Amino acid sequence: MSIGTSERRSGGHARVTGSQKFVADIGLEQMLHVRLVHLNCGHARIVSIDTAQALAVPGVVSVLTAAELPQPMPRYGPVFNDRPVLAVGETKYHGQPVAAVAAESKEVAEAAAELVRVQHEELPGVFTVAAALDPASPLVQEPELRPNDPLNHTNVLSERRFGWGDVESARADLVVENVYTFPMITHFAIEPHAFIAAAEDDGVAVWTPTQNPFQMQRILATVLGLPVAKVRVHALDPGGAFGGKQHPKYEPLVALLALRTGRPVRLVLTLEETFQEVRRTSCEIRARTGFNRDGTISFQDIQSDFLMGAYADIAERVIDKSNYLGCGPYRVPNSRTVVRALFSHTTPSTAFRGFGTPQVSWAHESQMDDAARKLGIDRVEIRLRNLAGKGEAFLPGDTPADGDWAVSVRKAADAIGWGTALSPGRGRGLAVAVKAGATTGASYSIVRLHWDGSATVLAGTSDMGQGARTVLAQVAAHELGIPHEWITIVMGDTATVPFDLQTSASRSTVFMGQAVMRACQDIKAQLKQMAAELHAPDAPVVELLRARFSAVRGEVIGVGSYRGEYQPEHPLGGAPSFYEFTCTASEVEVDEGTGEMLLVRHVTVADVGKALNPQHVEMQDEGAAVMGLGHTLMEHILLDDSGRIRNLGALDYRIPTTKDLPLEMHSLLVENADGPGPYGSKGAGEGGLMATAPAVASAVTEATGVVIRDLPLTPERVWLAINEKDA
Amino acid sequence: MQPFAYVRPATLSEALTLLDEHGPDASLLAGGTDLVVALRNRTLRPKVVIDLKRVAELRPSISDEEGWTTINATSVLTDISEDQRIRARYPALVDAAVTVGSAQIRNRATLTGNICHASPAADTAPALLVYGAIANVASVRGTSRVNLAEFFVGPRQTVLQPGELVTSIALPADATPRGATFVRITRRRGVDLATISLCCMVEATGRTQFAFGAVGPRPFLVADESGLLADLDVGDAAKDEVLRRLLTQASPISDVRGSREYREAMLLVMSRRALRLSIARLAAA
Amino acid sequence: MRIHVTVNGAERDLEVAPNTTLLDFLRDDLRLTGSKECCDLGECGACTVLVDGRSVNSCLMLAVEADASEVTTIEGLAKDGRLNPLQDAFLAKGAVQCGFCIPGQVMAGQYLLQRNPHPTLAEVREGLSGNLCRCGGYVQICEAVLAASEVGR
Repeated sequence: MSIGTSERRSGGHARVTGSQKFVADIGLEQMLHVRLVHLNCGHARIVSIDTAQALAVPGVVSVLTAAELPQPMPRYGPVFNDRPVLAVGETKYHGQPVAAVAAESKEVAEAAAELVRVQHEELPGVFTVAAALDPASPLVQEPELRPNDPLNHTNVLSERRFGWGDVESARADLVVENVYTFPMITHFAIEPHAFIAAAEDDGVAVWTPTQNPFQMQRILATVLGLPVAKVRVHALDPGGAFGGKQHPKYEPLVALLALRTGRPVRLVLTLEETFQEVRRTSCEIRARTGFNRDGTISFQDIQSDFLMGAYADIAERVIDKSNYLGCGPYRVPNSRTVVRALFSHTTPSTAFRGFGTPQVSWAHESQMDDAARKLGIDRVEIRLRNLAGKGEAFLPGDTPADGDWAVSVRKAADAIGWGTALSPGRGRGLAVAVKAGATTGASYSIVRLHWDGSATVLAGTSDMGQGARTVLAQVAAHELGIPHEWITIVMGDTATVPFDLQTSASRSTVFMGQAVMRACQDIKAQLKQMAAELHAPDAPVVELLRARFSAVRGEVIGVGSYRGEYQPEHPLGGAPSFYEFTCTASEVEVDEGTGEMLLVRHVTVADVGKALNPQHVEMQDEGAAVMGLGHTLMEHILLDDSGRIRNLGALDYRIPTTKDLPLEMHSLLVENADGPGPYGSKGAGEGGLMATAPAVASAVTEATGVVIRDLPLTPERVWLAINEKDA
Repeated sequence: MQPFAYVRPATLSEALTLLDEHGPDASLLAGGTDLVVALRNRTLRPKVVIDLKRVAELRPSISDEEGWTTINATSVLTDISEDQRIRARYPALVDAAVTVGSAQIRNRATLTGNICHASPAADTAPALLVYGAIANVASVRGTSRVNLAEFFVGPRQTVLQPGELVTSIALPADATPRGATFVRITRRRGVDLATISLCCMVEATGRTQFAFGAVGPRPFLVADESGLLADLDVGDAAKDEVLRRLLTQASPISDVRGSREYREAMLLVMSRRALRLSIARLAAA
Repeated sequence: MRIHVTVNGAERDLEVAPNTTLLDFLRDDLRLTGSKECCDLGECGACTVLVDGRSVNSCLMLAVEADASEVTTIEGLAKDGRLNPLQDAFLAKGAVQCGFCIPGQVMAGQYLLQRNPHPTLAEVREGLSGNLCRCGGYVQICEAVLAASEVGR
């Protein structure tokens, strides 16, 4: 049957023929085109905005500034309502829009945007962790936005502490202490963000490539003062999202413009504007780890400072989730992890594949290597000695380890040829990482079994490339016993599909998969009843439907839901429904003269419980690995002293190409059917990038003898480290 | 992109007259891979764009004329790098040409455009410099030839005067036996702008030339006439001394692609490597 | 300016402003939205089309430059609803994830196979290096091009 087979991608045909419609491909009658106006500096006081010249351009319909918006300025965000629709009083980061021009064509909008005169005065800003913590630095966020927060006169949004045992009195034979940094990187989805809004009857409709249509609906309803039912979100399949399209960006702005002008309004960002809109949270992590002589961990003491941007977005949760699993997948008797979420005058950081795990694994895995070297223990062996066993409560009081993780480590080690002879200039590394899977929230599905035996599945998941549509169809086909091709999945329209919390945290296969499965089971129960009533217990489904509905037709409707309960006392608001565990192993060759690196072989192992579609799982895990190679080898947003992004755009922000691939890549799966999703599946698709950096860096260390604790491992940085060692 | 007039002259004299008439208000269009970006970014705001692709005298061609291999202004990099004569005579130019952008870029970008754009990091410049290329220049006032070593003035600046355009690039066809190598440092293996680039040529006479890109305001050429660099019996330390002397003309800066220190260090590392390879290629020639 | 172009086999005679890129012309004037806009610099390859048989970044070409040319876009590959071998291989090999880069990848692969019907893996990686895929499906994309090169061998 369908489960466990590599069915072709649902929607694949449209994607290879160019007929797949992304938001920028939608054209509406009478549509206006929007261009944003921004300043070429980071933090600045807006003295005045003169829109007269822009408004005088033929074809310009509206120029919106903060002054034209409702007062007080509407603010929004997934957790904190701190982001204004347009900059008010000052810009807080390079590229924050101060005005928006709506015109009959994009050329006119662009020309008019240039004519909006913004008098401004550049102000000193906060661009680094050190500056954010310096009491002399300017405040990024107005204290009034957090009136009851004792930290509102600092740039610290929150400070959280987790831990157990007693780190202070824990005994250790070896203590390693190091500082690790992880850079700002940007999502670089190939689809730049795009938004369309149109007034519709007594409400508004918005087309957006969001991963989270229902949150979008809620936030738009709040900003616009409309009932939820009057906001219709068309969540078109994103052209890559990776967390960057999870939370509202400029949807409130285009919705307000559509209502103001009475015309459909379209805003398609440039890639540069997209870089200025979303990024991964950067950080500095100070790790102090105690080891016993046999390599077992005695304590973990981690202090992390994460640099968010100018608005909180979802960054605080990224940071909390990272910190909660700061010790990794290990058995740690004593732990103290402290994390601070810091504001800065930079692009608001948001969700990004791996959600804080790549940052913290960079630290805990590099610490393992450091200890292995100092204790003379093999780097794979030291991990095996510390890995939590299946069923072990490695996070006291929380979901126990839900996989046999050592199996993954051995598999990766075998595949990379661990312990076999190395050619000169080469080295190998291996690293692990674990992420808390989705915790709370509900997913609902409605399945309609039609009178001819085909079925329509309504699911609020977003298919952003991970293949949710394919996998959900496989689940329904399997449950209903009908061919995969007989199923249509309807997604992404809040007026049609039932609620889903969001497409994030690798939750869809587990949460929506279960909801679809339960909706199908609901149908099966109804069919069983029907068969009993018709005295045809063994009749095939199609015959049963014909007999039941005859010439007047009809359908059987099944409803299913799956939810993780909210637990207010839990640090994450709920226990992880599963863990995403990954092991990465890499072999590299370093050119010591130039610092350039050749990736010889790269292996990822994902513990997925059950691969419902093995090809889809492998392509995602391998894809994640390629993305991980980006932040490991070349990606970083560079700022100048005024907070301007120096490498804005595809020319100087480099991501991997086909030529940057390892010579050999392998994605291996561990399937023990031990997950909470359908057929024992777990979430997947983020793992491949969570341990890339420490695995590759470990290989570089073996090849060269130098240890690098800052990413990315650019040729220059590797060369510099080698040079300093030689000096 | 701001509005502009688009003209498509059929002859060189028409093109030159248009260029003369519109002066600084005109931009020349060959492959467009640099121009269209500048138009979109509004760093260039011409009133007239003169497309040279239909000018009869400038049509794509690679020809042998009186001891020169002449590459016409609208010849694209794909055709140049696939041409058998170019491959046989100027292998380092081919090595450089295939690093320019992607297949899509090389299908549009012209060699002449790469040179006239005068980026300090232009990949083809170092190879053209060591091969002794010249630019054939025309204007309504007549024609001239400019040695490429004198062509570049600074970033995006050439010796071309208003009203002048390059009709072709020509390389000496006959040459003593030689070995040449183009190398560069980039941030990734895929398509990238050079952090540094260089071309080394060792001639049978013992003369050794180096040309460098991305390490100063303009690509430049230096030579060692002593024969020491090409000499198999001279040790690395002595060669390094000569290389360091040649490299004193380099004045790299720090930017998003790399620091001055890294560029300086890579100049020596890559010069050594290119020299060794060139000597080996000369021996094989 | 009036231009005459053949797009996916159909002759078109249209008025176009000189400051219109070929990409905008295809997407906005002809409503052929399969070619995608991303970097607008010739770095990502999402806008790749064939002009007179050669792959180009349509964001770096003015529409007027295509006058008297033959243009093939992603919409022109399937015939009578049947996928061509490369499109089919992309689906068979699992090379398609979000799909936004795929039209450009397919066109770049199509060009590569026209020039070099039986490429090596290294040649495929070289030939597709101007097409970014952030889902990171490069391994499968390259496999798809190699698989298509075997069709009808």
